[in-house]
Amino acid sequence: MEEEALKTEPEMDTETSFWGTHRFMLLITMTVVIASILVVISMTLYSTSGAAQLDLSRPGYRGVASQAASNDNNFGEYANSGPINSDSVNQFKTLYEKQAAAAQAVDAYAGDPLNPDSLGISDPTNN
Amino acid sequence: MKKVGQLIVIGAVASLALATVLVGAIHAQSTPLSDAQLTRIRSSCVSVENTLAQLHASDALLRVNRGQIYESMSTKLMVRFNDRADSNHYDISDLLSVTQNYGAALTTFRADYVTYEQQLATAIATNCTKQPQAFYDAISLARTLRSQVHADVTRLNEYISDYDNVFNVFVDTEVTGK
Repeated sequence: MEEEALKTEPEMDTETSFWGTHRFMLLITMTVVIASILVVISMTLYSTSGAAQLDLSRPGYRGVASQAASNDNNFGEYANSGPINSDSVNQFKTLYEKQAAAAQAVDAYAGDPLNPDSLGISDPTNN
Repeated sequence: MKKVGQLIVIGAVASLALATVLVGAIHAQSTPLSDAQLTRIRSSCVSVENTLAQLHASDALLRVNRGQIYESMSTKLMVRFNDRADSNHYDISDLLSVTQNYGAALTTFRADYVTYEQQLATAIATNCTKQPQAFYDAISLARTLRSQVHADVTRLNEYISDYDNVFNVFVDTEVTGK
């Protein structure tokens, strides 16, 4: 038993000294690995949650970013508490009809701009 | 931690397999283009890419502006009136039903727009000179997804009208008639 203990002692010293020598590198490596994992997770969330689609500061969108509505104060502040009477009903009706008309005024994503004919990439033999 | 790691690996493998199957299905469905059409795509490559980039930006702007209105219709009007009527002990089951349907349609709209936008970005990223077939297929799929987004918008507009109708019935029966 004593002989075995004597044999393993130098090996343990070598192992300790290895980690002792490289622990700073290990710390940096682990930091970089953890940071990379967090970046991948956050980028995945950014692109899959729909946040990326609303981010007009991305390259390619800067030309239209200034046209984005900065707020929707037109909706007013209809209180979610209080009595229901002719005044509150009329107030809601006025607000709702105004905003419903605004929402329905634009037929968003209508048309067919990706039609091969519109893009000029249809089969010329069929024209 | 080990379980989380296993779940991440399983999720990544499943996503990769699903993506492979989807890409395979798309390629299997695409019809081969004639040489004349491939030549036409290559020759009009730059102008089509510019058109797609402009569409990408204008659709994003539309998503931001219209999306804001659609969100506010629910959170600032429908939900608030429902809460107010409910706190006054009125029967709001019909109003609630339309609001819930509207909320579900809004969720679908958001998800469909993400899918469409990602597909359009894929089409823009595809090299139309070297891969005209893949470019055409990517545009075709984006076209289908865009029409789905338009269908979602139409459904949202229908629910906006439905809420107005149900609100008028509510006022006639519950408020005026009470």
